[in-house]
Amino acid sequence: MTTSTELVASVEIAHEARTERVPSGAAAGPVLRVIPGDVVRVVALLGRDPQLARAMAFGALSGGASLVGLVGTHDGRSFVARAELLRDAHPDLIVALAPDRRDVDGIVELAEALRFGCADQHPLPHILVAADERVRDRIAASCPANTIEALPDVRTPAGREALVARLRAVRRRAQADVVLRDEALEAAARAMAVDAKAEVVVLDVTGGATSVIHARPDGLVVGIHERLGVGAAADRVVARAGLDRVRRWIPRAIEAPALLERVFNRARWPDAIPASVLALSLEMALAREAIAHALADAERAGVSLEGAWAAPLLVLTGKLAQLPRAAQSLLVVLDAFGPTGATLVSRAPGDTLVAAGALAARGRVVTMPAVDPIAIVAAMWPRRSAAVRVTDANGVVEERVARGSFLLVPTKGAVAIEMPGTTIRPSAGRLELGVVIDARGRPLALPPRDAERLPTLARWYAALDVLPAEAR
Amino acid sequence: MSWRYSRWSADHALPIGASERAAQGQEVHAGDVLAAGATYGTPVRVGGARRIGVAPDDLARVMRVPVGGGVERRTVIARTGRRFARAVSSPIAGRLIHQRADGDLYVAPVVGRWVVRSTLDGEVSRSDDGCVTVTGSAWALQGVAAYGPDAIGDIALAVDAPAAELHPSRIDVRLQGRILIAGARATAESITRAHACGVAAIVAGAAPAGGLRVVYGDEATASGANTGPDSPTVLCLIGFGSAPLPREVFMPLVALVGARAAVHTASARLFVFAPESAGDFARNAPSLALSDDWLGARPMDERLALAGVKRFASEIEAEAVSTADGPVPVANVLAFDAPRTPQT
Repeated sequence: MTTSTELVASVEIAHEARTERVPSGAAAGPVLRVIPGDVVRVVALLGRDPQLARAMAFGALSGGASLVGLVGTHDGRSFVARAELLRDAHPDLIVALAPDRRDVDGIVELAEALRFGCADQHPLPHILVAADERVRDRIAASCPANTIEALPDVRTPAGREALVARLRAVRRRAQADVVLRDEALEAAARAMAVDAKAEVVVLDVTGGATSVIHARPDGLVVGIHERLGVGAAADRVVARAGLDRVRRWIPRAIEAPALLERVFNRARWPDAIPASVLALSLEMALAREAIAHALADAERAGVSLEGAWAAPLLVLTGKLAQLPRAAQSLLVVLDAFGPTGATLVSRAPGDTLVAAGALAARGRVVTMPAVDPIAIVAAMWPRRSAAVRVTDANGVVEERVARGSFLLVPTKGAVAIEMPGTTIRPSAGRLELGVVIDARGRPLALPPRDAERLPTLARWYAALDVLPAEAR
Repeated sequence: MSWRYSRWSADHALPIGASERAAQGQEVHAGDVLAAGATYGTPVRVGGARRIGVAPDDLARVMRVPVGGGVERRTVIARTGRRFARAVSSPIAGRLIHQRADGDLYVAPVVGRWVVRSTLDGEVSRSDDGCVTVTGSAWALQGVAAYGPDAIGDIALAVDAPAAELHPSRIDVRLQGRILIAGARATAESITRAHACGVAAIVAGAAPAGGLRVVYGDEATASGANTGPDSPTVLCLIGFGSAPLPREVFMPLVALVGARAAVHTASARLFVFAPESAGDFARNAPSLALSDDWLGARPMDERLALAGVKRFASEIEAEAVSTADGPVPVANVLAFDAPRTPQT
């Protein structure tokens, strides 16, 4: 399954409160640890260029850091207000971006506010400065006790990479022999894209984080890692999305306060298992909103997602891949991610993909473990009724598809499909579910009122047989 | 252990503008003022070193008002020369709050005052403008989340049983300044009524999450909410919704009624200032089980038996423990003192 040339006996993957070992059992040799990493709180001091905020947001998302504050030279805040914001943010890292010479005085003013607000913080935040040497010197004069480091312009790929490397170093908290989970997943996505000679998207949802990684066959990887999840960060999802946006995905009438209770309890109960169908539905709802907000943040940060949505291979990991039914994982992805073309969706069982990715991230020769293909998704928005031909071991099935259709064609053996309007003929070996034709359109329209929303959801859930019978 | 007598330290973060604070090594009691200061309005930048013709590093030598000092309008802040004097004076009344690296100064008007009080009996182990830390011995109980400002008061029982809910009718002004023990659940109505009656804090097994949002706003999360001094204080010991207190937690609280105590919200701890010999409180931590639908938690029997791998209604198969109400996933059973935040 996973082979490595390195002297690593096993990989230990940390979850919320427990760890999993791959391969399982007692390790008789060196262990490589995969950790989610510490929360790194970053505040950006920004010059006047509006691109800086977006570039910084992109860098923070790629590095898995929490951007807790943006303070601009022209944001209209007073000196004291800026200092209070900085003190309350309690940053681990400050990134000062002043590429324009006209920003010098403003950025020094922000550095003074930083000293006024955070002079007694322990430990003092390091300051990364993306500006010329003179600006760096003036910031160093204003904040003599802080460690100042130079950073390339974060609007460039090299600058972003440098920022990401620095953020990850902080998240590791000087532990040398660890790999961050997002690093491991990026390495795994890169290896899979190279192997498949096709674009791959890896979607990972855990208790504390959500990652969307888009890898191209040429080795280019764009990763978005957000502190939104279905467990310890569940309350952050509600805080970001609002309770109603989470509640709308639950396929039964439920009062908002009772839902919030469940979210808060889950957030403070590491690795809790959803034993009831309602708790499972809540976990699925949280996963949808976590993915949706990670994507929305990426778009706001200027990341183009067209390539990711059109990627032919989609691999699910983490909690998303561990839902009891494959249809549950699939429905979450279709609702929240919404691939735009024909996509083969697979689930990576257990932690094997993360373990292989961790070894690959260390530069080891690794064969990626097999993933379980669950469905080919044919997403379309036909102007008029169109035919989709599905060929499998049983023969050919032709489905007429109209706008709003959402159906599953169960398949047996090798599968190929023909869709209208494209010459691409997606195919796969055995699929756990079959071919899913999704003509619901994007963005998904969910009626706001329960009387209309619940039947709509029930129809979608029934199409894929998502929940156990008692819940319907 | 749920209850533990130990040496604890409590950090008290200070807002900007501290003007006086307890010195390191100073003995303090819970409720004593650790630091006091002012809140500032919009400051005014005043030309400093350049204006009086000195290097920024030399400005301190000629300043007549130290940074942090109060000034009136036209107060001379710094001055050089004798016959042909050059001076910097304050354009407004307030406080000289900051000296920049280039020698300029900020003067801000004072628009309010604040004080920060100790939540521990002990000794000040750190004191600077960012934080005052007090270290001292006390009985303590770790909760999962706390909301509102720190609170100090005497413990009072407001329920008859650990599984009882705190009823608003049990709260009146006679409980002013007390820390109420609220049983399994403290609703938003009880919290607001207690606050109106001057109750210092409520300690309960759980509080409804929706109710907490009503009281503290949408910023309240499962980790707590840091609010201003004018809001009520709530400490949730087990979770949210409803959570009866285990006997091992409740009985010592009954025994400690009348004892001086404090709720430190940053660490979500209840400190009780009673002697170590006050009782045999330090027992093994009881187990807690999260309900299947995550709506609350309940204490469990001391002796738990594994039931093997079970399939639950959600179709998840997991190791389970047997209970009278059916199997519970092992992952949903935690010791009272188990860490509630994920590892990093």
